[in-house]
Amino acid sequence: MAGRGLTKVLPLRTAVSTSAGLASAAVNFLAVVDVAVDVGGRSAWLAIMVAGVLILMAASNFSELNGLFPSAASIRVWARRGLNDQVSLVASLVYATTVVFVIAADGFVLGHVFHAAVGGVPGILWVVLILAGTAAINLRGIKIAGAVQDSNAFFLLGTLVLISLIAIWRGPQLDIGPLFHFGSNWFEGVALGVFIFVGFEWVSPLAEEFHDARAIPRGMYIALGLIAIAFGLFALALTDIVPHPSQLATSLIPQLIVGRTALGALGFWWMALITLTTAMTTFNGGLVTASRFVYALARERSLPSAWARLNARLVPSSALMGLATVALGLCVLVYVTGEYEVLINAGAGVESLMYALTSVLVFSLRRREPNRKRPFHAFWYPVVPGFVALIFLGLAVGALTTTPVGTGNTPWALVFVAGLTVAATIYVVFGLPKKRRQEVLARSAKTVSADPP
Amino acid sequence: MGLTATLQGFAEKCNQHERLRVMNRDWTRNVRVLAEDVGEDYWIRSVAGELSAGEGELSEDADMEIRADQRVLEAVFSGEMTPTEPYNQGDLMVRGNQDDLFRLDVITLMIWGE
Repeated sequence: MAGRGLTKVLPLRTAVSTSAGLASAAVNFLAVVDVAVDVGGRSAWLAIMVAGVLILMAASNFSELNGLFPSAASIRVWARRGLNDQVSLVASLVYATTVVFVIAADGFVLGHVFHAAVGGVPGILWVVLILAGTAAINLRGIKIAGAVQDSNAFFLLGTLVLISLIAIWRGPQLDIGPLFHFGSNWFEGVALGVFIFVGFEWVSPLAEEFHDARAIPRGMYIALGLIAIAFGLFALALTDIVPHPSQLATSLIPQLIVGRTALGALGFWWMALITLTTAMTTFNGGLVTASRFVYALARERSLPSAWARLNARLVPSSALMGLATVALGLCVLVYVTGEYEVLINAGAGVESLMYALTSVLVFSLRRREPNRKRPFHAFWYPVVPGFVALIFLGLAVGALTTTPVGTGNTPWALVFVAGLTVAATIYVVFGLPKKRRQEVLARSAKTVSADPP
Repeated sequence: MGLTATLQGFAEKCNQHERLRVMNRDWTRNVRVLAEDVGEDYWIRSVAGELSAGEGELSEDADMEIRADQRVLEAVFSGEMTPTEPYNQGDLMVRGNQDDLFRLDVITLMIWGE
């Protein structure tokens, strides 16, 4: 009988771990504090759950698009088919850079946590070491990077649940009433809570490595559920230990406080280790996916061909090292200036815009390619995709126009992302056609000179 | 030239390329190639870097599956276009391990250049 199956496909576990790992950044601990401050304390867990439902709706857009075109080029393919080549390319370039923002912001948190834990060593040194170590692991091939990702994500979420439960058990008596208290900024809290989940969709480029097209949607949904449980419990523990979270508003180490309350010195160091693994999953997952994305753009001649270089282990080494170097530069800049919130807002803004864009693509592709097989349909089309577009457009505007305390009235995140988008547009509209024309001319000249007289 | 001949020409080019033979000596894979518009199956087999190709279904499970319209497959396997162009446009779909995908991309790069 003829073989029809595929060997060497990835298990569902990897879809879950990749999705959960990329969303679980070290900055999430600070986001939980911000949510708690906005909602006025103990109902932070509920705001995170509601945020999880909103993200679930966005995930259903990704599920439909992934099923339609299960490709490592993900948003590049979807936007090209649903809109046009130029919009697709600009969106892809801007989207790829958000990984660098998140790595830099996470590096900032990692550095401060380790500086708090090991006072004698400068925090930035930890960041350099971990980023360099992660890049080195990635250069050894995707199998090792994948194994690191698999183990880290489950270790992180499992630990978060365990430590939080112990902290709740050992903390003050839990009063049920405030758990459902809606403070004056409750909806702002929900909006902030959304950003705890962003990045879950970066599992999309792995779509073609699963035999079952439903693995990615299932993986994303399970991952979102695990993140909601883990960070919801963390929010409960944190607000149980510190009933007035505004006291922690400037703290960069809330997770260490929860760890110490749960298990004393052991908990403190355990949570320091967790911060390390969180940053590693962000660094690792970000570099794995973004480097392959940059490689694909370079191979279609949309980026310089130097970035299409693979090493002997078939890793896009130039793209990987280029991204790691830019991330490191940005890490140092953020560490020196302390303006990590600008990057978080920029990253959150771009992600939200992409979620809104997926709604537009769901609408557009249903019209343009109505007969193409859809293994998964977005929830309650057209209501939910329309709602997702509006909500996430609003969240994007909110994130990009937020001015962190002490940065004046200039919305630097908006300036940053607008600058990036304008630069990408100029490149796509003017630079790229010129580059392609020159390549065609160079190839013709080569052919002519190779012809016999 | 039909797709069978194109795939066989591709396999022959690989086998004649000294560096590719060395690079692929640890690469034993079955690749299913499906021309979706006409619903025809083809295959490429690599046994320790020695490639062969033909028409029909594979007799065992595939390590990788490539789907596209016949004209796209012919263009890719004859070097008229890089695999990345139709891939990034959603005209060429691949299922399988990323290492194998990169390997196939490198093979086309080494045979035909940029």
